[in-house]
Amino acid sequence: MKDAGQDQGLSLIDCDVHCVPVQAEEIVERLPTYFRTQGLVLPGGPGLPHPTGVRRVDARGPKGEPAGSLPEMMREQLLDAYGVDFAVLIEAKILTVGVHPDTHFANAIASAHNDWLREKWLAADPRFLGSMIVNPLDPLAAAQEIRRVAGSERIVQVAMTSATRIPLGDRIYWPIYEAACEAGYPIALHPGAEGKGVAGQFSVGFPASYLEWHTNLPQGFMAQLTSLLCRGAMSHFPDLKFVMVEGGFGWVPHLLWRLDKNWKGLRSTVPWLDRPPSDYVLERVRFTSQPVEEPPSHEQLLQVLEMIHAERTLMFSSDYPHWDNDSPLRAFPRLPAELKERIFWKNAAELYGLA
Amino acid sequence: MMSEKRAITVCPASELPPGERKIVDTGDGRSIGVFNVKGKYYALRNLCPHEGAELCRGVVTGMNEPSGVGEYHWVREGEILRCPWHGWEFDILTGRSIFNPNAVRVKTYETTVVESFAVNVDEGGMVVVMV
Repeated sequence: MKDAGQDQGLSLIDCDVHCVPVQAEEIVERLPTYFRTQGLVLPGGPGLPHPTGVRRVDARGPKGEPAGSLPEMMREQLLDAYGVDFAVLIEAKILTVGVHPDTHFANAIASAHNDWLREKWLAADPRFLGSMIVNPLDPLAAAQEIRRVAGSERIVQVAMTSATRIPLGDRIYWPIYEAACEAGYPIALHPGAEGKGVAGQFSVGFPASYLEWHTNLPQGFMAQLTSLLCRGAMSHFPDLKFVMVEGGFGWVPHLLWRLDKNWKGLRSTVPWLDRPPSDYVLERVRFTSQPVEEPPSHEQLLQVLEMIHAERTLMFSSDYPHWDNDSPLRAFPRLPAELKERIFWKNAAELYGLA
Repeated sequence: MMSEKRAITVCPASELPPGERKIVDTGDGRSIGVFNVKGKYYALRNLCPHEGAELCRGVVTGMNEPSGVGEYHWVREGEILRCPWHGWEFDILTGRSIFNPNAVRVKTYETTVVESFAVNVDEGGMVVVMV
């Protein structure tokens, strides 16, 4: 393992931080002329609001700007307050354009976002790292966009919605994965589009409250990870890495055990999986920590961390400035020093080539 | 001290043609499946190392070897035994599992064909398994 990060004094990499535009105009002005008439209209949701809004009210700007819209405020409330060395930005709201039925519009929004991200955020502070957005409903356009943006300073990954019309292991997405491999970017999946636009609903149907919706989000991640393995995306792209952002991690032991067990008897149905599925996951899938699982005892959390090989797979994330964000200081109980380093910066430094 | 192996009579060879199997008891609590794979006889313990199913009652088939996505290379037809409970694949020729051949395997036994003058045995001889 490289320890170069130590020399740079790294101690905290936050792998899920949410920036937004102050006003839609920041994105709209970067759209091709025709699409400017449409505005930044994102796919509608099921109408299940969070009672106080999904953004921290104490993170709003001085003039009522949306939480996460001002780089200087994010610096103050997150980077400086906690000594964050790098914050991986994901614009999770615009990301949902990936389930918009008008793929041409969605492609244009994704490109406008990627320009905005570089110009407004990545230029504002060297600690900001960016997730470029692509529209998975149009894989060829998404691949083209990856090639357009590839090589940009401090763009570290390709973000896509965890909600899809067809699971992400399918071959229709492979142009995206091919381009991501060329560019050396991991694919990050982030929730939020579930039940919106053309995205499939949770397996049993529509939730009826924000609580039910939010609690069920990991279902999608479980299905996507299973699809990526079983449909061969991870076999076909042996260098491709995935980041499961904000999808939880307590389910990971169950899923990997079940996959490995089933694989023993059903291997011949997916002959491209030539090793136990968990092998692929431990090598090439990473999970972000927020919302951290909160079992009744710290001991149980430590057991889960052991089960998921957190020293390899888990990366700290705060989810600032959302309502359920985690404090770098308080979210985890006291951890063994080495494990803490792995979770709080080393795993991310290795994945994103920061060390 | 190694005890002498003893021969357990399976059946006349004429009753165990290629692709067929017979399951025999050893008389000391063990059950053994004897398979004719393309004219050769192989014997496996009739006990899956996983959860104790009667392995040798499973389907005899082939297998897909590791391949690219969407490709299916079906090989070894008639040489693979799948446990009737969870579908684990075993190589009848070696007793080794396909998914983890070094660690997961079923005991194999030597087989042979002996001359016999029993009334129901023709010139094909009698299949026996050494236990």
